[in-house]
Amino acid sequence: MLRYLIRRLLYLIPLFLGILIIVFVATRISGDPVRLMTALTPHITPEYRQRLTEYYGLDKPIYQQFFIYLAQLFQGDLGESYVIRQGTPVTRLITDYVGPTLELQLAALFLSLLIAIPVGILSAKRQYSKLDVSVTTTSLLGTCIPVFYMGIIGIIVFSYLLGWFPPAGAHSIVPEWYPFGSYVIDEIWHLTLPTAVLTFATLAPIVLLVRSSMLEVLRQDYILAARASGLSERRVLYKHALRNALIPVVTYVGLYFGGMLAGAPITETVFNWPGVGRLFVEATGRLDFPVIMGITVFITLMTLLANLITDITYGYIDPRIRLE
Amino acid sequence: MKLRRSAKAELQVKTEKARSKGVSQWNIAWRRFKKNKAALVGALIIGFVMFLAAFDALIAPFPPNDLPGFRAIPSETRVPPSFKYLFGTDFVGHDVFSQVVYGARSALFVGFGAAAIAMSLAILVGLIAGYYGGLVDNILMRFTEIFLVIPFLLILLVFLKVITALAPSGAGGLSMVTLIIGLFSWAPNARIIRGEVLRVKESEFIEASKSLGASKRRIIFRHIFPNVLHIIIVLTTLMIATAILVEAAVSFLGFGDPSSITWGQQLQKANEAVKEAWWEGVFPGLFITLLVLGFSLLGNGLRDALDPRLRE
Repeated sequence: MLRYLIRRLLYLIPLFLGILIIVFVATRISGDPVRLMTALTPHITPEYRQRLTEYYGLDKPIYQQFFIYLAQLFQGDLGESYVIRQGTPVTRLITDYVGPTLELQLAALFLSLLIAIPVGILSAKRQYSKLDVSVTTTSLLGTCIPVFYMGIIGIIVFSYLLGWFPPAGAHSIVPEWYPFGSYVIDEIWHLTLPTAVLTFATLAPIVLLVRSSMLEVLRQDYILAARASGLSERRVLYKHALRNALIPVVTYVGLYFGGMLAGAPITETVFNWPGVGRLFVEATGRLDFPVIMGITVFITLMTLLANLITDITYGYIDPRIRLE
Repeated sequence: MKLRRSAKAELQVKTEKARSKGVSQWNIAWRRFKKNKAALVGALIIGFVMFLAAFDALIAPFPPNDLPGFRAIPSETRVPPSFKYLFGTDFVGHDVFSQVVYGARSALFVGFGAAAIAMSLAILVGLIAGYYGGLVDNILMRFTEIFLVIPFLLILLVFLKVITALAPSGAGGLSMVTLIIGLFSWAPNARIIRGEVLRVKESEFIEASKSLGASKRRIIFRHIFPNVLHIIIVLTTLMIATAILVEAAVSFLGFGDPSSITWGQQLQKANEAVKEAWWEGVFPGLFITLLVLGFSLLGNGLRDALDPRLRE
């Protein structure tokens, strides 16, 4: 087990470096960042541009730039933003913006699981019933509706038509506008609509997964054996069937964790939510290299970590693998 | 009397025919597919959108890039749905309905194109890795892992931005988008295909073929490939659905091809106008959902029909 872990960790390093190289090279061949940086200063002289280029080390050959970046990375220095928040250290940008993203994503994931698992089980138990049919149809639709479309519809209905929730942002701008008096409640009020949309989008595939996994497990022989040996239906369902049915769900959620931070951009853009996803979209649009690289490093690390943990957990909870 | 006798004769003829011709796996699958109502609905939807795409110039009342000096006639901009403008107009004055119709072709283009690219790569990698095993398998799987771990949306945005920055004239824009989506979507399917190949490899009939002296190439193409085909068909259909969604998302964020008309683009422009002009966003989004639903239903239907484990 330990050897497997070490081997996996060793694989991760070249993987990580490979991804870094790809993003690094891709961004740098796309244009001159100094030009972008100084786009708004009309009377800039070529000499000053040259000085800027040298200052940022952009005149060096690309492999040198990469090694310098790596060296800085080891010291925990992700550089400073070039364009979108000029001068701000990237690490601080990330820490500032990661909070709202996590808020949104974790809330959505938690609610999704809370709803999806029981619904999936119920749907499997009563296959072909009206409940099952409506659940499957709705979930299937949920996987097909683009998230941003859901967001737009949500905004139209709940924000403009009904006026229940604010259409954008994480906070009201002026404290006097806090309708319920408290900062926290204001934040939750703003959080509701994006979370609702993201939750629906997340739980749709999970419901389908739980349901199909449960159906497959319920067909197995050991379930029949359990029932035949006189166990109550509830015990059969929850103690025997569920445990096995949840294995693929655990894997799915584990992998979802990895992609969680990366998948935020769309919802965050629709609701103008101040998170890492929206920051990345902005940075990529304006070709702000350090921010792009910084967020990529951060998210890739998280993804690799999540994958590793999922692998270990999966190996642990699936007895067929554990006993190998 | 006469009727009964001819009916009996007919039944005899039919049984004889069936016995001599045999019922192939495809026939069984086709019969099962026909019974699946949801799958047929899916096929219908796809057919409808294809019809729109094929005859777009005839169906849409207004030409696609209707910009004769920006028809910014104030009375015609941001008009709610009416008889003249079925889905209303956008902020410039374009008819949303026409744009939706022309967008159908782009959606299908990206869907089929990206799926073709992704699936070709996936099949290649999956088949080779699965069949040859050993070092080849190892190397290919490590390579696949890179693409599995890369944060999909992020890397997509970066590459799209790079491509648009390098080649600003948008003539081949949509093809570029299609290519990039395809280039980064193959990894999960490659893994699945490899799994199927491994599974089929363990079958007894493969062992039988080998002991009968079949060459490796014959085994791959004549025995393994047809049995992996059913998974490939299903994966391709679902991949088309995914590709359409991805293109819509990417265009919505502003990284698509600005010179072509896609439903995602329409939603991007509609995002600012949500408050005043709901029709700008609602209709294109509806069509995206519809088309993706069509392919999803078709894919699921195909999966149920082609699954060799479900006995008739």
